[in-house]
Amino acid sequence: MSISTLSRRNFLKTAGVATGGLVLSVALPGNALAEKGIMKDANTTLNAFIHLDDNGDTTIYCGRCEMGQGISTALPSAVADEMEADWQRVTVKQADGDEKFGPQATGGSASIRVMFQPMREAGATAKAMLIAAAAKVWKTSAENCYAEKHFVFNKINQQKLGYGELASIAANMPIPEKPILKKKKDFNYIGTDLPRHDQGEVVVGKRVYGVDTKVPGLKYAAIIHCPVLGGSLKSVDKADALNMKGVSNVVVIPRFDIPFGSIGGVAVVADNSWTAQQAVKKLKIEWNLGDNASYDTQAYKKQLVANVEKPATLAAERGNIESAFNAAKHKVSATYTGGHLSHAPMEPNASVVWVQKNSCEVWASTQSPADIQKVLGQYLKREPKDIVVHVAMAGGAFGRKFKCDYVHEAAVISQETGAPIQLIWSREEDMRTGYYHSINAQHIEASMDENGKVTGWLHRAAFPSIGTLFNPSLVRSSAQTLGDITNHLFGIENFRAESGDAKAHTRIGWYRAVYAIFYGFAFSTFADELAHKAKKDSLTFVTQLFDNNKNKDQQEQVQRAKKLLATVAKKSAWHQRAKLPKGQGIGLAVHYSFQSFVAMAVHVEVNGDDIKVLHVDCAIDCGQILNTDGATAQMEGAVVMGMSLALSTEITFREGAVVNSNFHNYPVMRISDMPNVRVHITDSDESPTGLGEPGVAPFAPALSNAVFAASGKRYRDLPFKPMAV
Amino acid sequence: MKQSMMINGKEHKIDVDGDMPLLWFLRDRLEFTGTKFGCGSGLCGACTVHVNGQAVRSCVTSVSNLVDKEITTIEGLSEHGDHPLQKAWLNNNVPQCGYCQAGQIMNAASLLAVNASPSEDEIDTAMQGNICRCGTYQRIKKAIVEAADTLSKEV
Repeated sequence: MSISTLSRRNFLKTAGVATGGLVLSVALPGNALAEKGIMKDANTTLNAFIHLDDNGDTTIYCGRCEMGQGISTALPSAVADEMEADWQRVTVKQADGDEKFGPQATGGSASIRVMFQPMREAGATAKAMLIAAAAKVWKTSAENCYAEKHFVFNKINQQKLGYGELASIAANMPIPEKPILKKKKDFNYIGTDLPRHDQGEVVVGKRVYGVDTKVPGLKYAAIIHCPVLGGSLKSVDKADALNMKGVSNVVVIPRFDIPFGSIGGVAVVADNSWTAQQAVKKLKIEWNLGDNASYDTQAYKKQLVANVEKPATLAAERGNIESAFNAAKHKVSATYTGGHLSHAPMEPNASVVWVQKNSCEVWASTQSPADIQKVLGQYLKREPKDIVVHVAMAGGAFGRKFKCDYVHEAAVISQETGAPIQLIWSREEDMRTGYYHSINAQHIEASMDENGKVTGWLHRAAFPSIGTLFNPSLVRSSAQTLGDITNHLFGIENFRAESGDAKAHTRIGWYRAVYAIFYGFAFSTFADELAHKAKKDSLTFVTQLFDNNKNKDQQEQVQRAKKLLATVAKKSAWHQRAKLPKGQGIGLAVHYSFQSFVAMAVHVEVNGDDIKVLHVDCAIDCGQILNTDGATAQMEGAVVMGMSLALSTEITFREGAVVNSNFHNYPVMRISDMPNVRVHITDSDESPTGLGEPGVAPFAPALSNAVFAASGKRYRDLPFKPMAV
Repeated sequence: MKQSMMINGKEHKIDVDGDMPLLWFLRDRLEFTGTKFGCGSGLCGACTVHVNGQAVRSCVTSVSNLVDKEITTIEGLSEHGDHPLQKAWLNNNVPQCGYCQAGQIMNAASLLAVNASPSEDEIDTAMQGNICRCGTYQRIKKAIVEAADTLSKEV
């Protein structure tokens, strides 16, 4: 019997009896989620789980996947707050993959946006039932009772009852139709800097990541993939590998041609990971490289530039750009590019899968357990619900672990060998055969009148889109994919967006901040270039661009963006920039993405080609803030990732294959480059939005603008200083 | 009689191929999973442990070179998880995903053992080999300074 076929009342009863305490499954109407546009079926119910033991110990399950963003502290703390639970009595557990936890696919900076309200309601429901239970014991009304820190108090006689004592009685109380939520002033945890629940385990090496999974009888696998997308195995000589001590199997994994399926490879199974990795190197393999064998990113990028520097396919239009251009006092144009990026989380792809005749169990670092169920179900020809997925802590993910090709591969090997298999990708495989951030080119042309007002804006973009994962025949990004260009908050009366041709020759995947990386770069860098041309300061000029926006639906967003830009200008002492020493400069940028606003002021020192970032002031507006320390950490991280991609990281393909292999030729940012980051949080009552990604977009343009201010040199290509590989 | 090494104060027989890097002996043979695999080439520092008190990349250090050596992993850095660095890490809410942090802490502990009050430049130099993709560097620096401060007061 599935949960949705039970009445909410009956389900509680059943669950309560089964465990001896209160298992609170708060069924929430799917409508609330459907309204937000994240679930298509309004009848799907959402359940958040609170388990309250008779001794008061409370377990709160986090349905969203934890990868370091702190969601398994943030959301459960909202539950605890509304429940009036004592956080010290709460244990957080990561939920297995199960639709009863609501949408678990963790991406798009959506967790807080989507789950904040349901989680609060879950906590408030529990509190109401505990109060009702106490009222019953005291033979008084609920109005005479209140809850505080794991107790219910009686206002009349000052008696109190602990949550543990009330658990089993509460399980039989009616579920309130509409639980009453707390007022902001009454929050205990929401909006505070509550530390992460798991950091104590981290610092002693006890936090268990996907790669740390151990089960009895575990065998270890390593893999090598076809280096070119779409290629296949021609031949493999397994003898030398099989002759190695400790090696038990060599398994050929054919390409499974569905999104998130394996691209195909050969795996070796051994009694430890190291032996498996050594044995893979002894395989003698010949590949048919297929249609993408000539992919060369240097040539491809040139082609993208050519495709945006000529008329392309219309995506959106407002006003009349031709007449605006014809009447222009100034015309400015620029082309911006960016390379492929590899997520390179510190924990490479890893999972354990055990396929047996009547079961399939998975332990994986993942951002999307439902996709594992779907892909493995499809491969094994079983029902997705029969694939049991234990979601493990991910050692970083950044979008990579949304795609479960590595889990699929472990399943193939397990099915072939009958053993539980731990497959860990080597760093080299992670870097060479991953999913990559889109290589891209954008060309903007703008017209200005004699007052420096922007009258027209033509924006062409060409990049292989994520849509190509699902439809490889796409030759260019859709108008919808270019939506964030069309709907940008700058007020441009005469506007046209065009999509340039860009067929994919590798797997394109979500990378932290996704298209906002290059959209943000082009918009905020070009605005700075226009300001220079108009002989206006950048802050005044960009503020004007926002003020020119007369779209009623965007007024609130425009005001929020403007305010942040002013904040970082003030905090960075941008107004006193004339007093900076020679070679120093401050650049500004603000970008709206994933429904959050982030502005940055980057202060640099430039000496020849050497760029040293000294300070970053970062202002955020994500509505009601859930955890101030978590928000701050996300911004510090966004600066680091933003700096890596702005200055140095790029994946290069030659002859169809990735040339980079490890951190020596994919130079991510290290500690010595760390600037002083100051985060300024907007106190807001707006509904909360996420911060995992929005901080990345404004960094690179603010840096480009800062370097220009400091040196007069304009960087338009990401990364500014690519390593020759 | 097989050769052995001391790990966190206990003797462990080396019953694997002598070429096996310490990382995999720890993780797959002994199931001490606190020490992490990041790059396999000594480029990222996630696998950092101490050999006779000094920071070493366990992914490129064969067990055959560690006979009779004293190994300390993150699990053995302190008895109760209360090394000044571990406390400072918590006090500054350093970890995000936390995957690199065992290596960061072990590397920092090795630094403080030879330089009780490192300057910012010295911290940068010593910690340069430890990558954090989440971007916790600012807090790592702060935590190291704080731990050094604590240590100097203890003396």
